[in-house]
Amino acid sequence: MSDHAAPTPIGRAPIDTAPKPPRSALARWWDRRGFVNCLRWGAIIAFIALWEGSSRAGWLDPLFGSSPSLIVEKLWDMVADGSIWPHVLASANIAALGFGLSVLVGVPMGLAMGRSVAIRSTLEPFTTALNASPQVAFLPLLIIWLGIGVASKVALVFLGSFLIMVINTEAGVAQVDRRLIETARSFMANERQIMLKVILPSAIPYIIAGMRLGVGRTLVMVVVAEIYAATRGLGYLIFQAGGLYDTAQVFVGVVILASAGIALNSFLRWLEKRLAPWQHVQSE
Amino acid sequence: MIEVRGISHGYLAADGVSFFQALKDVSLQIESGTFVSFLGPSGCGKTTLLRIINGLITPTQGEIRIADERVEGPKPDRAMVFQEFNLLPWRTARGNVEFPLEVQGVAKSERDRVVGRVLAQVGLEKFDNFYPHQLSGGMKQRVGLARALGVGPAYLLMDEPFGALDPQIREMMQLELMKLWDSDRKTVVFVTHSVDEAVFLSDRVIMFGTSPGRVVADLTIDLPRPRWTDDEAIKTSPKFIQYRNDIWRLLKRQLSNMPAI
Repeated sequence: MSDHAAPTPIGRAPIDTAPKPPRSALARWWDRRGFVNCLRWGAIIAFIALWEGSSRAGWLDPLFGSSPSLIVEKLWDMVADGSIWPHVLASANIAALGFGLSVLVGVPMGLAMGRSVAIRSTLEPFTTALNASPQVAFLPLLIIWLGIGVASKVALVFLGSFLIMVINTEAGVAQVDRRLIETARSFMANERQIMLKVILPSAIPYIIAGMRLGVGRTLVMVVVAEIYAATRGLGYLIFQAGGLYDTAQVFVGVVILASAGIALNSFLRWLEKRLAPWQHVQSE
Repeated sequence: MIEVRGISHGYLAADGVSFFQALKDVSLQIESGTFVSFLGPSGCGKTTLLRIINGLITPTQGEIRIADERVEGPKPDRAMVFQEFNLLPWRTARGNVEFPLEVQGVAKSERDRVVGRVLAQVGLEKFDNFYPHQLSGGMKQRVGLARALGVGPAYLLMDEPFGALDPQIREMMQLELMKLWDSDRKTVVFVTHSVDEAVFLSDRVIMFGTSPGRVVADLTIDLPRPRWTDDEAIKTSPKFIQYRNDIWRLLKRQLSNMPAI
């Protein structure tokens, strides 16, 4: 017996109604994530292999270009003898204090500037001027005022990252749906409640975007601050190594800083997804 | 009772020069326990008047008196339902309904009790942990309605609440609103563009005209209640059709007066 015994309606072409076999889980994974991830990791592995290969083949002088294996070896040594930790801790300390302060000051300042024309008009000349100037140039002044200790370095990090927090928070306040504020008012929310329960949550994606930019600025400022008058820290480590032509150690410092930047950024992205899930649905 | 006394309201247009007269010398009274619709073309000031009654807008002239007290701002005896739902996207259905109670300082245990009750009233008890982006338009407006009911208002102010919904959902929501309304007969002021909706829901339809916004007609709708048990019979009754045609005729006259449609 034929499986295709069903008569074809007269005057119509037979229609293929057989259900398509479901695509395998592996094929679906490949469509969704696999292809993109393979290219990403493939590119990274190829780059490292090329670097290592050129160094070993003698095309690249390890004295100038180092090599992945030399960097890993150096990192391993510094972790094993513990000499890396004072540098990491010193930098982390400055970064955390400076960045934390910039969030604590920048967010309330941005909220106030976004909500009040009077406050915005008063502060805007200063924020605009500071934003337009290279904040690094203030370091000599900061050292004169605060000395060569932690304070001047924290101040530089703060100066470099808090304006981004202010500007992003302010933009976040500006985009708040006016109708939500009106709704809150109609249910008798006062100005403080509107700020805390409507404006702040609504601005969170902008604030987190500001923090992600701020992390980048923070790392730059930490390194710059530690070039000057420091005896510890990753910036100090990098520049000292550079002076000694120890390129592997330079890269150790760079790799640690880059890893910290990537880790913090991923964490903030995860946090945004947790705190503002509706934002991701809209942008999908 | 809501008394609207000689309300005029105008504001500067976006260009900052021309003055827009949204309402001119509007006076009317709304008896407690009645369902009243404000009907009229865009720009007739019906939504503005609703916001003035709510206390969100202070009128240029005139006053609103509710239960013989002058309206100075929003109060918990009035609650608003908005056309665009206006739910807080970071709060669940439950969190949104809880919001007004929270800002009005109601204790947590009392809030939970009220929220549970009003979510059940609008048929959303199983969706209390859903976020607005996970809900359909009709469900979002149920949350909006539950939020308004939660504050226990004597006056429910509804600003084109079903205007953003699909026609079928809209009819279903009308029936449910009628059912809900029959259970306690609050005073409802309902702003709408739809003639059928206004006639079907209301005890009274107040028609607004444009430039300047003003009342042009005030009709009592004498149809039997409850209206949700057999809505087909109501909507096909000669009386309903008569009301609808009368109102359409008035509305067309208004539209033909407008400079451009």
